[in-house]
Amino acid sequence: MNLTRKTQEVIRDNMSMEDALPTKMPIYVNSFAYIFGVITLSALGFVVITGIILAAFGPQWYHFSNAGHFVNSLHFWGVEVFFSALLAHLITKFFMAAWRDGRWKTWVIGMFAFALSIFEAYTGYLSQTNWDSQWIAVQAKDAMNALGIGGFFNTMNTGQILTLHVAVIPLILVAFVFIHLIVVRSDGPVKPLEKKDSGRKK
Amino acid sequence: MSRKTDEYFKNVPMKSYDLIKEGLIVFGVVSVLIIVLAIIFSSPDYPTVRAKQIATYEPISYLQTFTDILLGKSEISNYGPPYDNDVKNTQSLFGIAPAKILGTTIPINAVNDFVIDPLTRLAVIDKNVQTSLDQFKNASSQQRQVWIDNYSKALDNATAVNGKVQIVNGDYGPLPVMMNGLLLLGRSGLLEGALQKNESPYDFYNLNYTKPLLLFQGKVYHSVAKSLNMLGEDWGIANETGNYPGAWWLWPYAFFYQIPSVSTSPNGDLEVGLIMIGLFLVLLFLPVIPILNKIPKWVKVYRIIWRDWYKR
Repeated sequence: MNLTRKTQEVIRDNMSMEDALPTKMPIYVNSFAYIFGVITLSALGFVVITGIILAAFGPQWYHFSNAGHFVNSLHFWGVEVFFSALLAHLITKFFMAAWRDGRWKTWVIGMFAFALSIFEAYTGYLSQTNWDSQWIAVQAKDAMNALGIGGFFNTMNTGQILTLHVAVIPLILVAFVFIHLIVVRSDGPVKPLEKKDSGRKK
Repeated sequence: MSRKTDEYFKNVPMKSYDLIKEGLIVFGVVSVLIIVLAIIFSSPDYPTVRAKQIATYEPISYLQTFTDILLGKSEISNYGPPYDNDVKNTQSLFGIAPAKILGTTIPINAVNDFVIDPLTRLAVIDKNVQTSLDQFKNASSQQRQVWIDNYSKALDNATAVNGKVQIVNGDYGPLPVMMNGLLLLGRSGLLEGALQKNESPYDFYNLNYTKPLLLFQGKVYHSVAKSLNMLGEDWGIANETGNYPGAWWLWPYAFFYQIPSVSTSPNGDLEVGLIMIGLFLVLLFLPVIPILNKIPKWVKVYRIIWRDWYKR
């Protein structure tokens, strides 16, 4: 079997240039409900950019620099907007039963990205190197320990938490978001529910 | 389009669209919104709580932290895995205790790590501390217990005058010198460093704050958290210092800690953790869960979302 040819065939069957970068959309894609995904993605991009600036100057820069504090504020509000849009995206996709017609993969990958986002924000709070980090570290450790996770994930080991927050989790999260987008573009927007639809996965 | 999308959208009317333009416009609007929020509201950054402040302004609470450790009644005493092998307080459900699986991966001996080790470092520059430490170590466990009990009781009635702790005379053995040493170590700002140091050849670099954080996690941190409305009953870690929204996406998690049967349960953390894992699995498998996957059809919000389509 020629793996390269097989890969070409899979891509050809599932993704054209028009799928990846569409110039036309079904006319039912005409609602405010469709905007939350792109707001979530935009806020994620903004958080990544401000996160790169914060990471480049080190975890304590923002305590002592006005510019650093402003970038931290941008990062902070970026996260708030991100989660607000993410929740709106999740709720609207639920009410659209957007998992229909084989789109359960998009739903599942999105859910993993959602869980990773929460874990990423959690390590972010722990990486602030301020009172919030201290308090959250000692409070959250009990839950981690009770679940058996504390044996290898130590909320009070700032070195471990910081590398998870600025490198490991973002890379995995962005990979999940990328796959989510590929599946979204490959399948296209799900058709509106009709009266005969049951809402179940097909 | 690909074969798949060609087939799916057959007979569906299409309209003109520009993905990149829409993406750039939304990114621009979102960026402006975030910048405006950051300019108007800034962000919280409450300073750390350090041993130096506690030793200076709350010297009795500071010393009680250490006497609680010597009495074996601090939050870290007999905690169990991952800090020690005492499993009687380990949370479990249906006989299963996940914390036991990996065992003691972050070994903590509270008396040695929080009292003896920092004093051993101080003893290098203070011979009185060395003498007292030797006296403490060489005494019988019964004798040590008498000193600790006496000192602890006296500390409950102690007064702090100009930052100095005054206790009535009594049979405390070497404890006053030891406790004064710990108090001075705290005031000097060196306590956290003394706690972090170990004998590893790589200890020059240390980004692990487990011990300094564990030391004051009890009454001292709770007192600070209470003043900032950050206790568990105030929805705990979902809150943030100041009037900021905080990690509101953790509200479902914090909610279960407000239920009395959970908040008072010795296995509360494990129960809430498993509930959250269960809820996540429900969300994950929602497309195939009967009844739940029919809710969108029943509530008919989709008729608002696609109202233009249904008007056709």
